[in-house]
Amino acid sequence: MSTQYSILFKQEHAHDDAIWTTAWGQNEKDRTETIITGSLDDTVKVWKWSEEKLELQWTLENHQLGVVSVDISHNGALAASSSLDANIRLWDLESGKQIKSMDAGPVDAWTVAFSRTPDTSQQAATWGSIAYSPDGKYLASGAIDGIINIFDIATGKLLHTLEGHAMPIRSLTFSPDSQLLVTASDDGYIKIYDVQHANLAGTLSGHGSWVLNVAFSPDHTHFVSSSSDKSVKVWDASSRACVNTFFDHQDQVWSVKYNGDGSKIVSAGDDRAIHIYDCPM
Amino acid sequence: MASFGWKRKVGEKVSKAAVQLFEAEAEAEAESHGPDEDNVDWLHAIKRRREVLLEDCAAKSKRLKDEGALLAEQERHWEAIKRWDEAIQLTPEDAALYEMKSQVLTILQEVFPAVQAAEMATKLRPLWWEAWQTLGRAQLSLGEVDLALRSFQVAIHLSPAERPLWEEDLSWAQKLQQQSRATSEKSREEEEARRQLLQAPEMLPDYDFESDEVVTACETIAERQKCYDRLRKTTVLIDSGGTVVTTAESKDSPKPPQHQFVKARGL
Repeated sequence: MSTQYSILFKQEHAHDDAIWTTAWGQNEKDRTETIITGSLDDTVKVWKWSEEKLELQWTLENHQLGVVSVDISHNGALAASSSLDANIRLWDLESGKQIKSMDAGPVDAWTVAFSRTPDTSQQAATWGSIAYSPDGKYLASGAIDGIINIFDIATGKLLHTLEGHAMPIRSLTFSPDSQLLVTASDDGYIKIYDVQHANLAGTLSGHGSWVLNVAFSPDHTHFVSSSSDKSVKVWDASSRACVNTFFDHQDQVWSVKYNGDGSKIVSAGDDRAIHIYDCPM
Repeated sequence: MASFGWKRKVGEKVSKAAVQLFEAEAEAEAESHGPDEDNVDWLHAIKRRREVLLEDCAAKSKRLKDEGALLAEQERHWEAIKRWDEAIQLTPEDAALYEMKSQVLTILQEVFPAVQAAEMATKLRPLWWEAWQTLGRAQLSLGEVDLALRSFQVAIHLSPAERPLWEEDLSWAQKLQQQSRATSEKSREEEEARRQLLQAPEMLPDYDFESDEVVTACETIAERQKCYDRLRKTTVLIDSGGTVVTTAESKDSPKPPQHQFVKARGL
């Protein structure tokens, strides 16, 4: 257990082109940790994280165009990926085989995310970004015009519409207790909303350019953001202050994720490198 | 021998009269500035002057940019490029200048400079999707389908709601990529068949000429030749609609020419 933020591992040239998306999952049965990355080079790569280093397990090559979004199912057995070729593909992580392919039509297949509810169905949204709340109650979506919609999954009804950002929303994430929603936008700001009351709880500035990705830590108290200013920032959710900035990437950082217990962060971007950071617990 | 010495100072040869005249002029100038000398805050004056200069560059560049845009609208493309080149001299960091220049260069079929200009624009403003679109279009006219496809994908990733990027640029580039793949696949197959003909695996060095071995080998080789001929007769056609069709020529495959048999027996 480390006491300060530090970079733990760098995988240079992880792909042949920019990495656009990452996911971190853990297999329920054997507790192995898996990182998957999707890239402009049309491939999805499955990496095993063990003994503090990455080991390439599979290279999944069925997509015809760049991979924009990946996710790992809650039990760690399945992965989903979506690509600019308008296909969503479902993969078995153990065998590296494709289970299913769905043609979703362009633009409609952008973000893929596994629902956290027991039936591990996946969802695709029209562009923008989507996030499931961990309690399985809400689905939030962010759009190109900066508007955020929060839906009730059980009834399918639109609960709240928030007009928060003046520019496209790149990413959203719920806090583990599903009470807070954090959004990232091209306007360079990160906003925190109270989900139940649909209140704006805070606006954070600090990135010098577009905020491309946000992810909440399972420890409830932190979240991490990545930006086209090449930095990765860790924020304290209660004090709303930036607690650490990593300046390790050479180019814009498209994706950032926490691992299952919040002790590690993975980030990847246009410099084709995957970085793993250590977080104090 | 020509002499050279460090002591020889610049201006040594200037006549005394000229020096005196210069000194007198300098004095006069100093006097003319004399009265308001006390009011000048030199630190700020210098700063202000620099700001004024920068503003001038930006303003002039803007004027040249607009002029160029107007000229480009009137299809006076080379004149437009000249204006923008001048503007680039003044504000070399302005990505829009390179991007517009690339568009016009593409129209003029100056494909390589067009790609270079667009690349500069994407380097200066990597988050500007239109620069990537222009780069992709310039790469397409250069025939670099794969690179163009990549540029369009970057543009879409930056601005996914831009419908024309999906419907025109990306799908067009994808179609072209399929077509070029179909053609190269065909020529690869043909090449492969030809290679097999020349180094047929059936041509064992030690035939038992009494047995049927020779006959079978000849038969397979003949079959191969037929196959090669058939391949040569088919062509990949890309119709105006863009669909790829592989057609065989209607003639029945003729008997292979005699000399090829001679070659097969020649062992």
